[in-house]
This record gives sequence, C-alpha cells and structure tokens, in this order.
Amino acid sequence: MSNNPLIQTGIMPVVKTLQVPIPVKSAFRLFTEHVHNWWPLDTHSVFGDEAVTCQMEGREGGSFFETHRDGRTSIWGTVLAWEPPSRVIFSMHPGRSPDTAGEVQVTFEALGDATLVTLTHTGWERLGDRGQTMRANYNQGWNQVLAKFVDSVASAG
Amino acid sequence: MTDINALDALSDPTRRKIFERLRSGPCSVSELVLIAAVSQPAVSQHLNILRAARLVRVRPQAQKRIYSIDPAGVSELRAYVDSFWDQALGLFQQAAEKLAREETEDEQ
Repeated sequence: MSNNPLIQTGIMPVVKTLQVPIPVKSAFRLFTEHVHNWWPLDTHSVFGDEAVTCQMEGREGGSFFETHRDGRTSIWGTVLAWEPPSRVIFSMHPGRSPDTAGEVQVTFEALGDATLVTLTHTGWERLGDRGQTMRANYNQGWNQVLAKFVDSVASAG
Repeated sequence: MTDINALDALSDPTRRKIFERLRSGPCSVSELVLIAAVSQPAVSQHLNILRAARLVRVRPQAQKRIYSIDPAGVSELRAYVDSFWDQALGLFQQAAEKLAREETEDEQ
C-alpha cells in the first residue's frame, strides 16, 4: 500500500482517455474553439436549457464560459495553459466561486491519423455545490443517463 | 442525522478548510479549531455535517477524538465527476466522428 494519504483516501485525479478518428490539430480545435458544437449545455451548464452557447477563449488567462439567452454569461473557469495543438489546462468551477476550482488538463497525441485524448481532472474534491446544475444532475440519476448513452454508442457502433 | 449530499456539505468555506486539512492526515478537534479559526462548538457542528455527508469519520484515541477523511463520501464525489466527463466526452467523440465522416465525404 502507498503511504500517500491522497491515494489511501481515494482522492485521486479523474482520468479519461479516448481515441478520436481525426488528426491532432482538428481534435484540439474541436475541443477548444468549437466546444459549443458538442458540449452538453442542457445538462452541463449553470443556466441549463436557458444557456445558448459556451466558449473557450484561446489564450492563457482566457475565460471558459457559457452565455444565457438574455446575454448574461457565467464563467466556468480560466485557461491556465494554452499549448495548441498538444495541450490545454483550465480551471473548472461552474456555478461556484473560483476558490472551489479544480484543474482540468487535456492532452492530444497523434496515433497515426487519429488522436489520443487524455483528460485529467484534479482538485475535484474542492467542489462545493452552489450551482443548480450539479445538484440537478446529482438528483436526476446521472448514472441512468450515462447507461443510456453507453447503450446508444454500443448499438450505433 | 439525516443524509447530507457531499456537494452541499462542501459548499461552506469553513468546512472546505477542515476537509482540506484532513486530506493531509488525521487530527484532533483542537488542531482543527486553530485551522478553521472559529470556536470549538462551531467546528464540532461543521464536523457533524461532514460526517453526515460521509466525508469525515471519527475514532477515539485515549482522551481524544481523532478525525480523518472518510473514503465513502469521497468516492461518491469522484463518481459524480467521473460521470460528468463520461457524458461530455461521449459527445466530443460523436462530434469528432461526424467531423471525420464529413472530411471523408469532401475528399470523394
């Protein structure tokens, strides 16, 4: 067993890897510049179904934010490292104050013509809920939604 | 005490401070009072809420009560973050596959 208290108590980064059938440059652009084309605003936003878009400003210090249909914005986090096309790091605190932010690193590596995307979310245990989204998600049986999604991908494949 | 959501329990800055301290190892109430900079009854109240959310647990040691992180509530939080990204990245993957199809069509 490790002596690292973070490992002993299960406070480890959340790590996700996936392979996408597009080159590194395209994958990076899709994840950042075109985040509004795929981000699930209905479920993963502060304004819920009143959110119309989201955007990541492509520079260090840039904001990652969503926009309400009345023009208001809600900042989700700040870009901490901007290294196209291989890496982006941003803080993440949707609906909460920046002092509860975790950090998300996303790396993009070439695998032939495809790209290996690795997302690492650390500091997530600082999340305290003031955002209606998190609460709603939490209470709506997130796992059921996820199970359905996995089914749909499996049957489409 | 009734069940408290781990996310709700951590919405309070003092409770976050206590929780963050316990991440680096178990300790007694008196040490937590120093860190949280509030009265001992207030710290005890916060600890009760953290315990109800299963983020913190307690065991007696000599005359003291020693508090530490409870993995149960922590893994609940982790599962939440995990599924958050599963769904978002699933859609990212779909968008990438659509892009790949469009590019193949363009080439034909």
